[in-house]
Amino acid sequence: MARSSPGLMQGTADVLILRTLAWAPMHGYGISRWIDERSEGALALEDAALYQALHRLERKGLVESEWKISEKNHRAKYYRLTPAGRRQLRTEVAELRTYMGVLFRVLDTA
Amino acid sequence: MPRPPDEKREFRFAWRSARQVASEVDAELAFHLARKTEELMAAGLSAAAAREEAEQRFGDLERTRRYCRDEDVRREREARHSTMLDELRQDLGYAVRALRSAPGFTLVALVTLALGIGANTAIFSVVRGVLLRPLPFPQAEQVMRIWHVNREANVDRSAVSEPDFNDWRAATTRFATLGAYWYQPGNSGANLTAAGRPERLEGTYITPGFFETLRASAALGRTIRSEEAVVGNDRYVMLGHDVWQRRFGGDSSIVGRAITIDRGPFTVLGVMPREFTFPADGVDFWIPLSTIPEDGIGRQRSSRFLAVIGRLAPGVTQTQGNEELTAIARRVAEGLPNATGFTEVTMSPIEESILGEVRRPLFVLLGAVGFVLLITCVNIAGLLLARATARQSELAVRAALGAGRGRIVRQLLTESLVLALAGGALGVGLAYAGVRALSALGASELPRAALIGMDPTVVAYAFGVATLSGMLFGLVPAMRATAPGLQMILRGTRGIAGTGGQRLRSALVAAEVALAVVLVAGAGLAARSFVRLLDVDPGFEPGNVLAVSLSIDSDRYPDERFLQYHQALLDRIAQVPGVQVVGAAKNFPLRGTGEVIAPVVAPGGGGRPDSPAMRLPILHVSPDYFRAMGIPLRAGRTFTPADRAGAPLVLLVNEALARRAWPDESAVGKTLRVGEQAVEIVGVVGDVRQRSLTEPAEPTVYIHYLQNRRSGMNIAIRTAGPPLRYANAVREAIWELERDQTITSLETMSSIVGRTLARPRLLTSLLLLFGLMGLSLGALGIYGVLAYAVSQRRQEIGVRVALGASPRSVLGLVVGQGMRLALVGVVAGIAGAALLTRLMAAVLFEVRPGDPATFAMVVVVLLGTAFVASWLPARRALRVDPVQALRYE
Repeated sequence: MARSSPGLMQGTADVLILRTLAWAPMHGYGISRWIDERSEGALALEDAALYQALHRLERKGLVESEWKISEKNHRAKYYRLTPAGRRQLRTEVAELRTYMGVLFRVLDTA
Repeated sequence: MPRPPDEKREFRFAWRSARQVASEVDAELAFHLARKTEELMAAGLSAAAAREEAEQRFGDLERTRRYCRDEDVRREREARHSTMLDELRQDLGYAVRALRSAPGFTLVALVTLALGIGANTAIFSVVRGVLLRPLPFPQAEQVMRIWHVNREANVDRSAVSEPDFNDWRAATTRFATLGAYWYQPGNSGANLTAAGRPERLEGTYITPGFFETLRASAALGRTIRSEEAVVGNDRYVMLGHDVWQRRFGGDSSIVGRAITIDRGPFTVLGVMPREFTFPADGVDFWIPLSTIPEDGIGRQRSSRFLAVIGRLAPGVTQTQGNEELTAIARRVAEGLPNATGFTEVTMSPIEESILGEVRRPLFVLLGAVGFVLLITCVNIAGLLLARATARQSELAVRAALGAGRGRIVRQLLTESLVLALAGGALGVGLAYAGVRALSALGASELPRAALIGMDPTVVAYAFGVATLSGMLFGLVPAMRATAPGLQMILRGTRGIAGTGGQRLRSALVAAEVALAVVLVAGAGLAARSFVRLLDVDPGFEPGNVLAVSLSIDSDRYPDERFLQYHQALLDRIAQVPGVQVVGAAKNFPLRGTGEVIAPVVAPGGGGRPDSPAMRLPILHVSPDYFRAMGIPLRAGRTFTPADRAGAPLVLLVNEALARRAWPDESAVGKTLRVGEQAVEIVGVVGDVRQRSLTEPAEPTVYIHYLQNRRSGMNIAIRTAGPPLRYANAVREAIWELERDQTITSLETMSSIVGRTLARPRLLTSLLLLFGLMGLSLGALGIYGVLAYAVSQRRQEIGVRVALGASPRSVLGLVVGQGMRLALVGVVAGIAGAALLTRLMAAVLFEVRPGDPATFAMVVVVLLGTAFVASWLPARRALRVDPVQALRYE
């Protein structure tokens, strides 16, 4: 079953992941579920893109990871925000908000 | 199934390998797919379908796997680097703190290192400038310096006549080009008239092919081409960089302009670069040889004055080139009506001919100064070992806190390197001063001396040497300080620098002494050789003689007027108050042997009728020359004003010739055949070392100045007091007679003698300095070890004194230990010195490398120094108060 919903730009995917982790540390599968549930399937974040983003963010020092036992007794790699990741999330959300505001102002007046 | 990754994160020691990273990524992705599959199965799919769907939804799995691995490996690497940087920063801070907390040690180490590295750098700057910089010609190894050889007369390196050179040049095929030049300091000059008074410049006269052979290019304009160095088309000049700056203000519009040299106009074709100092430093201009008028120099085959150079054709070896030129030279010689004996040719690469003489002494110096640094390193290693005692608990604590051995070694090495590099920086500063001091000591007399100086390469060398030294003196103490068994130190049962450390330190001190022996032996040999050189009787008295060199303009003073002017100059100078005697000669002693004339035969007339023809140097002198120079008359008479041009030719000979030709009777009244003429000998004068102080006088003939006109003129003026006091009056007297008379040089005869001693003096004073440094460092080493031993043995000494040991026996105990060390070092050092000083044979004068007197002196000096260095700590042992020493325990 191919997904028909719009793909996400890379930067937007990063913000989304950071936002998810700001809520609680979780593993990759958990993040994927969380975004799917919150957006009711509207925001299609491909799993491949998710994991690539996670490892990229970890290298940039925005998230860090730890192997833990999950609630169902599996070993899973949990990610959590670093202080730098939290700061990054704040600035990116603010920028996105401004950008969207301007975008819609232009679209509404057209 | 990938191995579950390690739980520990916080306290991880090891870094993850690429394989570990890969298995973690695999595990993470496998976890995701497993959960996704479960989710889909819960929604009703079969196991296989769910798995397929999960993978389908995931996207490009393999690409993601690769991407994640790459990212992780990169993160790992970056983290590792930043940790290493952190550790380095930590080590550096630690090193600086540690060094500051031991100011005495740091000061001694820094000062000795700065001296050692500074000396090495200064000497290296000389070696680099003189020996290592490439010659200013491309493919210099193809360029040969070529000499004529006369086996019959035992002449193995003769200059070449112009006709011979032209014949060779026309016939050779194995040489791409041949060129020649005439350069003789003080003689091959010319007057440059720009604004104001004419100035005498040093010049080189070149034949066609000169610049083509060297392939040297001009810094400005271009060089003289072969077709611009032939009669009729030769009024061109190349200027040297210095004279261009000095006389023409570095004006680049000089190219193409005409300047006046010796009254004639010459077009400046170009300016040579500063580093082009061929054939010698201080050449101001190069002009074609063909501009010298036909009668100015001999162009016949007997007049050998050209230095020949040649560039081998591609692929031709030196041997092949030599074979061909010898064949040509033989063919030319056989075609001549009279046999000359010059039937062969020899050659050596031009670099060898320029630098061959100075290479050995410079490498001896570089070796000696390397030894100084080696001793410095051994000394500091000893100090570091001693310091390890003071730091043993500190290191043990660090080890207990989890620092691995490698980590502690790294920290100790960092400390050594910080020390070494700081010493290196100070050393570079010292080297700047050292290079100037070297010039003053006589390095400026070396070929290519203008290229000596500090530059980035030399500074890099200094820091390279510093780093190497730091590793050298830091490694052994660091390994030793971290040797297994540290826990015992913590428990207080064992000290690092206990017996083992002390033994190692003693070995180091013995090594220092051995190295010092080699240095002192080298210095001693050089000093003895130099003293021998100073003792040489040159055959004249240079004190209170002013030496003036000038050149008479033969256009202005032709024929008879030349002789008149010449005599007038001598007479006028003689009138200067304080001037006692004035004499003139074609060549001053130690400045060349003059002309070599056609075979002079000592025929019958009482001599040995069958004595073979000798090629004798001829010197043209004025009657008072011998008196002015203090050369004694042994028999007969000297020249008188009556022996002038037109009068029958008479000669004087030196004792060497008189002894050789007439061993048992007086030479006075005998005749020599010069060419076809029999000439009477009227007197015998003392031998003069004309060529150099190290070579005995050759058989020499003196001829009256006025009977043979020469434009170059050297005037010896014996004065009542210090000669330079009369310099101005003499100069004024000359200019009073002829306002435009240029003066090539004006100095004291002593400074001419002194200059020939410049190289041996440089070598000797530096070797003495290095010997002294080695000796002091060796003494410092002995002192350090004994002082430490005394402090360690306080209790033992206290007990001995309490039990009634005499002061004498206590002294003997300590001094004995020091002397044992020194003795071991001396024995090893003498053996090494015997081997190494053999390399000095070529730079020693009348002293053999194994000279027993010198070696005996070295042993005495070393043991004496060791005794003093042992005595001081021994005195301290005497002051040990037994009660206090025992209570201390």
